Amino acid sequence: MEELLRGQEVSPLDMEESPVYPGTEYDLSGPLLFFPVRHHSPACAFHLKQAIQDYEPDCILIEGPENANSLIPVLVHGDTQAPVALYYSYRDKDAFVSDRKEDYKCYYPFLDCSPELVALREAHRLGIPARFMDLPYQEILIGTKESRGIRGEGEKQTYNDDYYLSRSRYFSLLCEKTGMRDFEEFWEKYFEVRGLSEETEVFVHQMLTYCGFSRQNTPKEELLEDGCLLRERYMAEQIAGDCGTYKKILVVTGGFHTRGLMELLKTGEGNRVVFTGEPVKLHRTEKGSQEVYPMAYSMEAADALNGYASGMQSPGFYQRVWENAWRRGSAKGAYEEAVLHFLAAAGRRARGKEESISAYDEICAFSMARGLASLRGKGEPGLYELRDSALSSFVKGQRSMSTDGALKILGKLVTGEQAGKLCADAMRPPLLADFEERCREFGLKIHSTQEQELTLEIFSKEKHLRMSRFFYRTEFLGCNFARRRKGSDLVRRKDPNRVRELWTYKWSEQVTAALIDVSVSGGTVEEAVRSLLEERFGASTGCKEAAELLVRGFLMGLSDQQERMGEHLAQVLAGDGDFFSLAGGFSQLLMLGELRDLYQVRDRMDLEKLVGICFQKILQILPSMGQVLEEQQQECMESLRTLYQTTGRKEYREYRERLAEALLRLVDRRPVGPGIEGTALGLLYGYDDAFGERIARTAKGYIRGNQEMMAKGAAFLRGLFFSARDFVFVSREFLELVDEMLERLPGPEFMKLLPELRMAFGYFTPLETDRIAAKAAAFHGKTRKELLSARGVSPKEYAYGEALDAFAQAEMKGGWM
Amino acid sequence: MENEKSQHMEMKPPVEVRCREELEALQALDTGPRPLNWKLSPRAVRTFILGSREPLQWKGREILVQKKYLGNDALVERCIITLAGNRGLMLVGEPGTAKTMLSELLSAAISGVSTNTIQGTAGTTEDMIKYSWNYALLLAKGPTREALVPSPLYVGMEQGILTRFEEITRTPAEIQDSLISVLSDKVLHVPELGEEGLLFAKAGFNVIGTANTRDKGVNEMSSALKRRFNFETVLPIRDVSMEKEIILSEVEALARENHIAMEADEDVAEILASTYHELREGVSSMGHRIDRPSAVMSTAEAVSVYYQTMMTAYYYGDSHMDLGCLVQNLVGAVQKENKEDLEKLRSYFQTVIRDKEGKEGGLWRNYYEARKYLR
Repeated sequence: MEELLRGQEVSPLDMEESPVYPGTEYDLSGPLLFFPVRHHSPACAFHLKQAIQDYEPDCILIEGPENANSLIPVLVHGDTQAPVALYYSYRDKDAFVSDRKEDYKCYYPFLDCSPELVALREAHRLGIPARFMDLPYQEILIGTKESRGIRGEGEKQTYNDDYYLSRSRYFSLLCEKTGMRDFEEFWEKYFEVRGLSEETEVFVHQMLTYCGFSRQNTPKEELLEDGCLLRERYMAEQIAGDCGTYKKILVVTGGFHTRGLMELLKTGEGNRVVFTGEPVKLHRTEKGSQEVYPMAYSMEAADALNGYASGMQSPGFYQRVWENAWRRGSAKGAYEEAVLHFLAAAGRRARGKEESISAYDEICAFSMARGLASLRGKGEPGLYELRDSALSSFVKGQRSMSTDGALKILGKLVTGEQAGKLCADAMRPPLLADFEERCREFGLKIHSTQEQELTLEIFSKEKHLRMSRFFYRTEFLGCNFARRRKGSDLVRRKDPNRVRELWTYKWSEQVTAALIDVSVSGGTVEEAVRSLLEERFGASTGCKEAAELLVRGFLMGLSDQQERMGEHLAQVLAGDGDFFSLAGGFSQLLMLGELRDLYQVRDRMDLEKLVGICFQKILQILPSMGQVLEEQQQECMESLRTLYQTTGRKEYREYRERLAEALLRLVDRRPVGPGIEGTALGLLYGYDDAFGERIARTAKGYIRGNQEMMAKGAAFLRGLFFSARDFVFVSREFLELVDEMLERLPGPEFMKLLPELRMAFGYFTPLETDRIAAKAAAFHGKTRKELLSARGVSPKEYAYGEALDAFAQAEMKGGWM
Repeated sequence: MENEKSQHMEMKPPVEVRCREELEALQALDTGPRPLNWKLSPRAVRTFILGSREPLQWKGREILVQKKYLGNDALVERCIITLAGNRGLMLVGEPGTAKTMLSELLSAAISGVSTNTIQGTAGTTEDMIKYSWNYALLLAKGPTREALVPSPLYVGMEQGILTRFEEITRTPAEIQDSLISVLSDKVLHVPELGEEGLLFAKAGFNVIGTANTRDKGVNEMSSALKRRFNFETVLPIRDVSMEKEIILSEVEALARENHIAMEADEDVAEILASTYHELREGVSSMGHRIDRPSAVMSTAEAVSVYYQTMMTAYYYGDSHMDLGCLVQNLVGAVQKENKEDLEKLRSYFQTVIRDKEGKEGGLWRNYYEARKYLR
């Protein structure tokens, strides 16, 4: 190992600096002992425990934002079970981080095998002080450049920065030399499997050597931009400060920082440790802008945060290794037992899911894992051998979606399925407390993960209305707690007349996590919902989106907020030039008007005026909507109909004429799509019977035209029947025309048009269909009765059909291997 | 003398002959534990296939073991360990993904011989897999071991070496199944020989099968047989630069064997590798989505297209690779079963190659101009 780390090909990357670092030794006599770790690494945790025993420190300092120090008692409490995480949030009201004044959050997860947690627990057990010593979260944010380090892109941020270990050029050369696939395999082979059984002294020395080289080969600018140097200055300052009080301090940090800290600290006279850097000035931020909470976490969530080598992957596997090492009291066999355990567990679960994995498969896989370990020069098989052996022995046939079921199961198991638990007196964010308070108020069961069902009579019971609003609020917060199964869907305008709502709700760890996630937005559910609604509404650019948010706000019982929103909506309306967005928003606004009457809520935003502006804008664009894309046709037809229906209401009657005018301009403008033309003419016919003639003329044009026009005829009929299906019964001539069209269509063409024709005739009620059929039958000299009887099928035909069916089925069977 | 020697050379000597020196050196220097009857230890087998970083010092010379299989190193390791165990090894994958080459390398390294092979076809019968008789001897002496004609499987069991079974899924399912008892009990029963008719496999025996995913559904393998194998899915090379390296090294080897004194052109190999890679993946390096031809777009095919063009250049041209000729050969390779494939190739040229020509110019321009041969 030593030879490898300092191999000739690897080290001379920068020969000017000495490749051999002083201070990589494990010196138990000094006032400081630096212990380098990697997040979630069982080997680091194992040796750290040993180091605490050997060094007997009187204080332990741990890398982590110091504003979580008050939560350490929760983390080390006997009832708290890992995985748990610290959740940090910061609202940048003072624009310290950027002018955009955004909200920030990040997680710092701990597993049983996380060295940081081991250090905290050991300190608690021994009764010595232990604390986090890094900059507070907000200071790290301020000291980091945009999209770097803790401000990286991506949805979830982790505090951890072990990615340094895998990013340097030093590592890529090492990887090439050792023939490892990636950093994780390299790390596992040399630092986990081998490291676990080494002496603590040797392990620490090697960690420091590796981390030192990684650091040497990472550009300084990168460290500066990531805020890494700033943090180290602060941590070093803290360490030096504590040296006055304590005689033996154990410093637990990511291995990458050890070198940086050592350079900032000098031992002066009488073993006194002096900080040689420039002290860090902190910012004065508003109280309450920065929060930190402990939360129960899951292995799955911890694994998802471990991208880019920032923590050990597959925590379930390493958790098992850690447990084995402790149970046995030695490192030997810890990995082999874990591999065996996971192979057997995956096999057992796969059998339950009807994957044909036998015990013999498991035996073969285990011997494969051992064989691979010995071939690859690893003392014991690790995660990579586990995966490889399952791939060889559990997949039958070509690897594909249908054959890798057992591998997926194994993947889940090594990720781990445990969920953590916090002790009872853990501090919770006020939002979570408020959520629980509301649940108690409404008698909702949140101490079981069973799905519950509730029927709410929102019009007759005031409490039910409040519950419904509460559910809508949790939905808006995205915490996946409640789902409406039945009842009016006002946002999508489906079944608006239901008086009952059926809801199901289910409490899970994820609900807590999601609530903590949004807790930065407010202290109570209502507060959070309000600020989120306002934020999203302010960001909305289209009329439809904005109006939809208004409806959602209404459902959540926040109609008092509409006053301010009305103003913004008028702006949005002015800037929106998209027909579909305007039309969508228009119907939402109408819906709001209806709701207002229904719930008897005072109008606070002059809704009528907004509807008027919206209508006006639509009429401007309407004449140019003759040509829309095929997939937008239905939506456009529906919008036209809604507009027409609106003008039927008393308060919007004045728009009638203007709509008719716009529709006329629409059909007069060429080219115009046949479906839209049919719909528009149908609506115009609704205003004025005289349009009947024009409809007949246009239809004739399509149907008697060339083949291409005839094809368009079907779309025209669809549009027409959509808006004015009664036209068929008014004019006998028209029905004859349709009959003529069907007669003239050649077979293959007819088949092509069939879907469109089915849509067209689908708008009729069964009774109407019956009437049309009878009339059509009369054209051909048949009666209604004759239509309903069909020719019998001969036994021969039937037998042939059956044989054909069987043949087709047999042909389609198969698959391979 | 040299000429005379090469006239007697085989067209393609087996791996163990081509790499005799490497194998001998590895064997001499091998200190690792070996499974019974293996010529090399698993670690040395790995070195033979994946190459050594440092040259071996043997008999006063330096022998650098070349990397012979490019792609997935972990797959090779799994194959080696599988062969040391109780189950057979089945390599499955698209045609041209070097399954056969890998199985030859494994056999040569482990058993010292790669020619103990059954070729699976639709006409393969059970006696080709187990044993048949020399009828003259059978009539003269009756059923004796002398009159028995052993199959490669029989030989493998008798001598404790690997038996390769190529294209196993071309063989009817009931014939494939005759392997089941051999693989699980490691015993072959020859009833005609009476009491002596039980052949127990010697240590070192195992079976490497290859199967082609294009044969899907032709002869389904029974699940009983599947259970006796560990499967390894061999995927096409995902890395264009590696594909280019393979094309170059293969073509150079072919040129050497056939005494074509001409250097391979790296730029042309790069163009060909990227064409094959992009058509196989259905997406270009510049992000175009393209239709994938139904023909097999394997690296082996690319090698043969390149080599054909090279031979034309050597014999008819002035050793200058002509991209027009390359495109003509490409047409021959792509247009095999489906006429639409040529259309797909044409549209590939008109989108991807056009844009690359615009961006890179140079050789890409000549390549784009050669699209006139896409007929």
